[in-house]
Amino acid sequence: MLTQKIFWSRIVAAAAILLLTMAVCAAVGSVPVRLADVFDGPMRNGQINTAYEIIVTYRLTRIVLAAVIGAALATAGCVFQAILRNPLADPYLLGVSSGAGLGTMAAVLFGWTWSLWGISAMMPTAFVGALLTSGLVWLLGRSTGRHHTGLILAGVVVNAFFSAVMMFLTSIARADQIQTMQFWMMGNIAAMQRFEVIVPAAAIVAFGVVRLTQWGPPLNMLTFGADDAASLGLSVPRTAVSVFAIAALITAVAVCLSGLIGFVGLIVPHAVRLAAGPDHRQLIPISALMGGAFVVLADSVARVVVAPAMLPVGVVTALVGGPFFLILLVRCRKRLNWGL
Amino acid sequence: MSIIEVHGLTFDYGQRPVLNKLTFSVQKGDFLAVLGPNGSGKTTLLHLLSGLLRPMYSGISIEQSTMSCFSQPELARKIALVRQDITSAFGFTVRDTVMMARYIVGGSKLFETRQDRDIVEQAMERTDTRQFAERPITTLSGGERQRVFIARALAQQTPILLLDEPTSHLDLKHQIEVFDLLRRLRNEEGKTIIVVSHDINLVQHYADCFLLLADDGRFCYQRRSGAGSGLNAKLIESFFGVRGVEGVIEGHKVFVPIGVAQTQTNQNPQCK
Repeated sequence: MLTQKIFWSRIVAAAAILLLTMAVCAAVGSVPVRLADVFDGPMRNGQINTAYEIIVTYRLTRIVLAAVIGAALATAGCVFQAILRNPLADPYLLGVSSGAGLGTMAAVLFGWTWSLWGISAMMPTAFVGALLTSGLVWLLGRSTGRHHTGLILAGVVVNAFFSAVMMFLTSIARADQIQTMQFWMMGNIAAMQRFEVIVPAAAIVAFGVVRLTQWGPPLNMLTFGADDAASLGLSVPRTAVSVFAIAALITAVAVCLSGLIGFVGLIVPHAVRLAAGPDHRQLIPISALMGGAFVVLADSVARVVVAPAMLPVGVVTALVGGPFFLILLVRCRKRLNWGL
Repeated sequence: MSIIEVHGLTFDYGQRPVLNKLTFSVQKGDFLAVLGPNGSGKTTLLHLLSGLLRPMYSGISIEQSTMSCFSQPELARKIALVRQDITSAFGFTVRDTVMMARYIVGGSKLFETRQDRDIVEQAMERTDTRQFAERPITTLSGGERQRVFIARALAQQTPILLLDEPTSHLDLKHQIEVFDLLRRLRNEEGKTIIVVSHDINLVQHYADCFLLLADDGRFCYQRRSGAGSGLNAKLIESFFGVRGVEGVIEGHKVFVPIGVAQTQTNQNPQCK
């Protein structure tokens, strides 16, 4: 049973792991840097301090960004798994990410380039895209009923359809727009390393994670099914709308920052569940922290492994996530009495 | 004092009518058995009573207030429902599962209070489930799991308890244990119990009133008049389409089915 003491000590431990991962990854890169030089500040001997430039301006901002994205995707994965009662749910696999991607693309295509306090026009359109797709997935989830593979199949189709629309838009776009748009489809954390972008994004994701943690007990109840939760007194429609809206919001933020990164929302919650149990009060904040650590690590691999070139981080997460998904699928099929 | 009043309840799923002008009342402390063939609307009735189905007008009142006055959380403080085959997608422990009853009823806090914990321990004690409190519910047998969900319903601390075929997957001993427990809850805590069951002899022994539903919308409400009384064979034949013999063995009414009725009778013997 979850007590406040266990709750907070586990969160502190997970936060420590995240910070440690961030620190280690900051020290790793294609260019060797002496850490001692960094502390001299941005200028040294009247010249720009390259060590400071690389570590702080380049690597650290990128690492913080990766942590924010990972936290958002892992949390959204937790929530989708709970409310759809489907252990295979993930914002990418369900097509919610590509819904958000289509939204951002629409903003680029319409030439909406304004931004307010670091929130660009892409953010609201991505949110609308993610929200509509979440609604679609919820309806599909109700109609596919007991078969959790049916829902995933529907998600794959939604995903393929939206990707096709995005490719179509890319092919009719002007040359100067193409590069911006292709960026979204690959899942890449490179172009958004600006402080004024990171701060509002981190604030929105932190807000989302805290709110969803507070929705933890209703999510626990919903894993027993909507009717059962209602008989315990839960107002299911209100809960579902609130929770989906927040999950769609943080997914949209992640997609705006990095494009389509898959499988984070699948791998992280399952790993955390093995260690800390299925209680969503605990699962959500710890998945957020560990999701951050996972994407920081994946992005560092993407930076280093083919240096001086770089992989999109989505390639790394998919290389890990694909086999993981297959193992889960086989396990779930064996245990059809999971009651889904 | 009647705790549940149902007056002229009519319900259908689109084309198919299920309940037709159903009228009955349940007194506080009653043990009501709802019987009927498949598709006669027994589960639908429980879902209407617990607010999972909310038509525009249901004609149901609980403690003298009409159903539509109750929000879902308010209703969960009045009525607990034990449904058939409940499972989670994830492996919550027995204690966590029972604790979920306390979230809305106990006031929507992130962490449970000491009082919530005491109520949960007590509910597990009563249902003899405390011995496997730390096990995931996915590892329990059907009978054990059924008792866990009865414990969860108890932890809701409602005056009314609804159960949908609580003994359907249980062996004989566990069936009797569940019904003994229900009778104790009625006798010792004054709970009102409504149970849907297919086992005519079991409910004749434990229940003190009966609601029979037919698949054509007929119904019959009957209160037991004394020891050795219960549902007669003619009535059972007209609702279930099964012939049988009845008798009283050492003060217990029994019904033994012997064959399918030749012609479906459409009038209710003894019932209006």
